[in-house]
Amino acid sequence: MSDKLKQIINKQGEQQIGSTEHSADIVQLVGFIIGEEEYAVPILTIQEIIKPIRWTRVPQTPAYVLGVFNLRGSVIPLIDLRTKFGLRPLKHSDETRFFVLKQGDEVAGFVIDRLTMAIRIKKSDIGAAPDTIAADDSMIAGVGKQAGRILTILKVDKLLARDF
Amino acid sequence: MDEFQEILQDFLVESFELIEQLDQDLVELESRPDDLELLNGIFRVAHTVKGASSFLNFDVLTHLTHHMEDVLNKARHGELAITAEVMDVVLESIDLMKSLLSRIRDTSSDGGIEVGECVKRLDKISGGSGDVHTPVAAAPIVEEKPVEEPKVNQDEPDYDSMGADEVEAEIERLLKERQDQDKAKRAAKIAAGESVPEAPPEPMDEVESKPAPKPVPAPAPVAVQASPRAMAKAKQDEDDAKAAAPATRAPTVVEQTIRVDVKRLDHLMNLIGELVLAKNRLIKINVDVEERYEGEEFLEELNQVVSIVSLVTTDLQIAVMKTRMLPIGKVFNKFPRMIRDLSRELNKKIELEISGEDTELDKSIVEEIGDPLVHIIRNSCDHGVETPDIRLAAGKTESGTITLKAYNEGNAIVIQIDDDGKGLDPEMLKNKSVEKGIITEAEADVLSDKEAFALIFKPGFSTAAAVTSVSGRGVGMDVVKTNIEKLNGIIDIESEIGVGTSMKLKIPLTLAIIQALLVGVQEEHYAIPLASVLETVRISKDEIYTVENRSVMRLRDDVLSLVHIGDIFEVERILDSGEHAYVVVLGLGSSKLGLIVDTLVGQEEIVIKSMGDYLKGIEGIAGATIRGDGGVTLIVDVAALMQIAKGVKAKAMVEDTSAGSKREKSRASDYKVMIVDDSKTDRMIMRKALESLGVTIVEAGDGQEALNVLKQGDHNFDAMLIDIEMPRMDGYTLAGEIKKYNKYKNLPLIAVTSRTGKSDRMRGVESGMVEYITKPYSADYLSSVVQRNVNFKSEFL
Repeated sequence: MSDKLKQIINKQGEQQIGSTEHSADIVQLVGFIIGEEEYAVPILTIQEIIKPIRWTRVPQTPAYVLGVFNLRGSVIPLIDLRTKFGLRPLKHSDETRFFVLKQGDEVAGFVIDRLTMAIRIKKSDIGAAPDTIAADDSMIAGVGKQAGRILTILKVDKLLARDF
Repeated sequence: MDEFQEILQDFLVESFELIEQLDQDLVELESRPDDLELLNGIFRVAHTVKGASSFLNFDVLTHLTHHMEDVLNKARHGELAITAEVMDVVLESIDLMKSLLSRIRDTSSDGGIEVGECVKRLDKISGGSGDVHTPVAAAPIVEEKPVEEPKVNQDEPDYDSMGADEVEAEIERLLKERQDQDKAKRAAKIAAGESVPEAPPEPMDEVESKPAPKPVPAPAPVAVQASPRAMAKAKQDEDDAKAAAPATRAPTVVEQTIRVDVKRLDHLMNLIGELVLAKNRLIKINVDVEERYEGEEFLEELNQVVSIVSLVTTDLQIAVMKTRMLPIGKVFNKFPRMIRDLSRELNKKIELEISGEDTELDKSIVEEIGDPLVHIIRNSCDHGVETPDIRLAAGKTESGTITLKAYNEGNAIVIQIDDDGKGLDPEMLKNKSVEKGIITEAEADVLSDKEAFALIFKPGFSTAAAVTSVSGRGVGMDVVKTNIEKLNGIIDIESEIGVGTSMKLKIPLTLAIIQALLVGVQEEHYAIPLASVLETVRISKDEIYTVENRSVMRLRDDVLSLVHIGDIFEVERILDSGEHAYVVVLGLGSSKLGLIVDTLVGQEEIVIKSMGDYLKGIEGIAGATIRGDGGVTLIVDVAALMQIAKGVKAKAMVEDTSAGSKREKSRASDYKVMIVDDSKTDRMIMRKALESLGVTIVEAGDGQEALNVLKQGDHNFDAMLIDIEMPRMDGYTLAGEIKKYNKYKNLPLIAVTSRTGKSDRMRGVESGMVEYITKPYSADYLSSVVQRNVNFKSEFL
């Protein structure tokens, strides 16, 4: 499995190197901080970013599901990424934001510690996720390197998939 | 309206709908004359209309459609080539059919339109001799043609296909017929209104531009080309007729209906839902504004607007709900036949009495209710009603009666199914259940009769000794229960041995917007569908007993098992719930449960919203709704809750005694005191007074802020100094709020205020303050009061 995957990744890498640099090779991401690390998701998957608002706890859910909140008349689940990533929950501060991500019909809000910036990154600067993580289960789509920092790019569909 | 009129209406609505479709098909057929699918479609229309019209005794229409059917049948079986000539006649006959239908709609009779020629030609095409007898319709009951109306109008369809002699003869014949009719009309003394245009099925201009009789058959291209125009014209005439009809006479009233995609109605319903939420919010804001600006003039105006908006919203909601309503008769209609078949199969004599079939229900519910009713009625036939000989032996009439009845009861509809059969035997039901391992013997002993009846809804239960094809596979009744519960419905069974069984299904009128009871537990709110709430009771804690690890209470003559909503929804007990609690008695199907809650918030109209795929299917939660304040409140799934409740062990009212052991103070700064005052200067004075003690001080600018600091739980306070006069939340309110929390029960609250009245002091004590310091005060005094209250260790001084 991982061999096959490597092949595919290599192939993709070759393609990227081979093609000339134009806008299709640029990925636009939005970066944010959870704990100590910087993560990013594709800009087009972000429906909006809002300041924390009141939410309602939903029983019988894992700890990282904080509950649901009202986004202009829609009831949307709220997921705490700190807890989900195994970090200690933190009190919301002025920098805390709700990331509302959308893919297809699936919408959910994610609590992040702090927003960094919108990032344009070349596809060739994005490497594969570390091999040690089982590729299918991983929430990591790739690792982007830019100007001395490392971004973990997350798979939005995995974030939005219910796993309990 | 008598039955005939009703059938006639249905027939007309259906026919005109079919014709609508036909018009489109014909246009297509022009470009693809050999399309069999289209021909089939037209054939079916002719066939349908023929069937219905013969039943309704419209001989002329039947006659015409019968011959159309012949031709089309041959055409679609390939026995007849669709030539332009054939097409021509078919089109003509369809136009004729349309005018006949319009005529029937307007006069309830199909007389006055000549179809003979067309039929002859149809007959010829299909291989007959063309010599057919055309029936003449009885004179219309209500005549509508004014005398002046030129007769030729209605014969135009045949003109371009008639020989000169034929036309002559036709006119004569028609004139005679018309005169007879006119005589009859005058005799009937019905005032002749203005002329109502007949539907000339054939293109007029065709006839006018070519007055000379054309040989049979007519030139195909012309006729085919003309047909859409003719149709348009016929349509227009129909409309004219419709418009003119009510003014002049009383023709058959056609239901003015539009078929609307259910999706659009659903969308409309969603929008109304949003509006209802906005309305709730507006009302909430209005109340807040009223409190804040009491006595201001603009409030009056605001009040008016708010009440108009809420009134209109409610009306709008009802109106939209009504568009989705269908009479339950749609479901009831299939039962007479079912009963007939069943009684034959079972060798029983059963009569079905239906009433209240006009009672209306939401479409989605009507669709869901069919299956459960089938099961219940089958069950009544099979297990309820006895065979004739048994009935006679028991002194009953030979034939049993099943009564099916629907009626409105408040915001719900009740469907009641009664039979006068042998009734349910609770003992037998219990024995069966024990035998099948559904319940244990111990459980059986404590069951009331009603609970025993409810056993028939248990999965795997079947009472018939012999399994018949009708029922008795033991699947039916538990499906009934599931389906009814899905609709938030309640089933109630009453039965008496030898007399009969009565089942009541109580179902809410609509699903999307419901009435709910809002309850509070600690700081959370939940909405319970009101349809499942039987009653609410206020109890004190010593009314709760524990039996076999389950909490129960006595409710009049029954024993009600209890469960705390907090135990089901894992609510953290922070607040002291007090001596009293409320029990919401839930009823679903035939089971009951008492749900203990801390507070009853009130009744509200709520809109059910899904929580998306991510949170779908959370046990015990049916959905969410948005409240007037913009917050989200979860809706309780009563059926699931009852299921969960079975697994919850009794600790319904266990007091949380772990008050949090006080940590040993090792230095002065371990003591924490909160100062709550809106004046910065006052806070400064207090801070200065306490600074010398070396205790840690936290400040808050008003009651709300202080409460937030407490809620966050970052600090463990040993005492609080509270000013009384503060914006947002005053000192009394703050003290009251703080005392609700278990862990702050023993926190000393010290009032520091310039209010010196005795009543102020009394209020302070009532709200839980332990000391009352009046401003101005000396720093030493304040310090000593604090020291006393926090048990300050003297060695830190």
